[in-house]
Amino acid sequence: MNMIEINNLRRVYKATIGTLRRKTKEVVAVDDISFNVSAGELFGLLGPNGAGKTTVVKMLTTLLIPTSGTARIMGADVEKEAEKIRPKIGFIFGGERGLYWRLSAQDNLRYFASLYHVDPNVSKKRIEYLLELVGLEDRSKEKVEGYSRGMKQRLHIARALIHDPEVLFLDEPTIGLDPVGARKLREVIRNLQSEQKTILLTTHYMFEADALCQRIAVIDHGNIVALDTPEALKKLVKDLSVIEVEVFGVPEELFGRLREQPFVDNVAVENREQTQVLMVQTPRGSEAVPDLIALLDGVRIGKVTSREPTLEDAYVRLVGGET
Amino acid sequence: MSWQKIRSYTRVVALSFEMALRQNVADAFILFTIIVQPLIITILALLMLRDQGENYAIFVVIGSGMTGLWSSMLFISGNSINLERWTGTLESLVGSPTPIQVVVFGKSLANVLQSLFSMLGSYILVSLIFGFPIKILQPGLFIIAVIFTIISFVCFGLIMASLFVVNPDLQRWQNGLEFPIYILCGFLFPIAILPSWTTPLSYLLAPYWAAQALHGSSNGSMTIGDLSLALGMMAFFSFTYLALSGRLFRVMLRKARVDATLGMQ
Ligand SMILES: Nc1ncnc2c1ncn2[C@@H]1O[C@H](COP(=O)(O)OP(=O)(O)O)[C@@H](O)[C@H]1O
Ligand SMILES: [Mg+2]
Repeated sequence: MNMIEINNLRRVYKATIGTLRRKTKEVVAVDDISFNVSAGELFGLLGPNGAGKTTVVKMLTTLLIPTSGTARIMGADVEKEAEKIRPKIGFIFGGERGLYWRLSAQDNLRYFASLYHVDPNVSKKRIEYLLELVGLEDRSKEKVEGYSRGMKQRLHIARALIHDPEVLFLDEPTIGLDPVGARKLREVIRNLQSEQKTILLTTHYMFEADALCQRIAVIDHGNIVALDTPEALKKLVKDLSVIEVEVFGVPEELFGRLREQPFVDNVAVENREQTQVLMVQTPRGSEAVPDLIALLDGVRIGKVTSREPTLEDAYVRLVGGET
Repeated sequence: MSWQKIRSYTRVVALSFEMALRQNVADAFILFTIIVQPLIITILALLMLRDQGENYAIFVVIGSGMTGLWSSMLFISGNSINLERWTGTLESLVGSPTPIQVVVFGKSLANVLQSLFSMLGSYILVSLIFGFPIKILQPGLFIIAVIFTIISFVCFGLIMASLFVVNPDLQRWQNGLEFPIYILCGFLFPIAILPSWTTPLSYLLAPYWAAQALHGSSNGSMTIGDLSLALGMMAFFSFTYLALSGRLFRVMLRKARVDATLGMQ
């Protein structure tokens, strides 16, 4: 059974620009998106910043009305049957906002339990269980304002689970967390899956989608550019290899020049501390190295290596080098 | 509405009330609005109204208490929706199965009840510190008037909150509404001293009738007929606000979902 069904979903924002002469400009945040998520699935929506992920989630959680197209959660329409949907879903939007900072974790959860009509006899145990699930049981009586970012984001998850929803929307749950905090949170998400929840997760980290999701939709500029299992997405780049060139300062226009080369499929750049690493995808493998070096004439070059493509490279190929 | 729903909503009102109080006690702006500002007004009014006859002390207490009630309504209840928007909790509220007016009702109730402390503070100042004798001459009627006042202010809070759902910019108008209402509603001066064209305006404002009922019953100048009129008007306005706010919230929430104004950009 499909828990989430989306058909040709589109959302346009009207943004006002200019202060004196006010003009409205239309921003197409979600262009034309269709996909289904079945019961118990952990589905990933992966895309760079501004791709339209949050807008999709806001429409699915009844907070935004679609400009056109339809979306149904457990058969109910997000625009016309919001009242049917709200009791059955939980949602979080990444980041620290959305909690009452002057209240304790316990009070936050007690409050949301009442908003979701959880029986007071049930909610007491449920709150205890959730605090433990997200590892906040020791500090649950402290005010939220003193929590670390990771603790706040875990409290969000507990909040979203207070009424034991069937469908869960997690919009960039690990955004802004340090690696340890992010890993802890992914652990929590993985555990939720063993509870048979249907989860839609958005992220702009390929490895996160790979580690958690059964299927991934890659979204860019409001459209889905690929939708498949992580394994199948990796096959998109199986005939390519990646040459990594360590460089010290490259002029912008070089990327364009590199992309134009017939033997170059795609170029991404990763900034490290002192250096940048050019990642050039090419079907010619290490044979392409000399041509590449020739093109980089005048640029200081460090280590050059050639490697097998990863899922990250598949992502780069789908959305361009701007990860 | 089913019995179960009524029970859940009552719980939401109780918890919204509790959480609002817990958050408010830590807020300096709120303490200023409900305690400090009315005390300043009390002192000013005591000085200005000194030669108004013997009942003026109680008039000052009630009047400055009402300024606290109105200001807290205007700023705290009005801003509460904006505050939820800024902290990102407005989306969590709207996305929950509870209609948002139930939450707003609980919060407004907390705001109105806590602002009765303005009256208490003013009473303590005038009677215990300045030593004026204060007596409420018709205590039974006064208590009824207080209850009606609370209800009509809470209902008014609902209207204001619904307008804030859709228009965050409304805040700019707030300051402009503070003192004119003090004056138009006769909190501290009888409206008889105003030009006559403003009188119909006063009649249209529930706080005017609240001030009539509270002043009248406390200084004993009120007949049962006058009081019934004032209570009737408050009941009428409360009911109108309540009915109107249901509709307003529905329209405003839909508009907010179209215009994407629930979150913050
Ligand atoms: N309320 C809004 N008004 C105008 N434009 C918006 C609004 N919200 C998002 N956008 C724009 O819509 C696009 C998609 O945004 P978003 O859905 O937040 O993407 P993502 O979550 O993938 O980063 C972006 O270009 C963003 O600037
Ligand atoms: Mg986003």
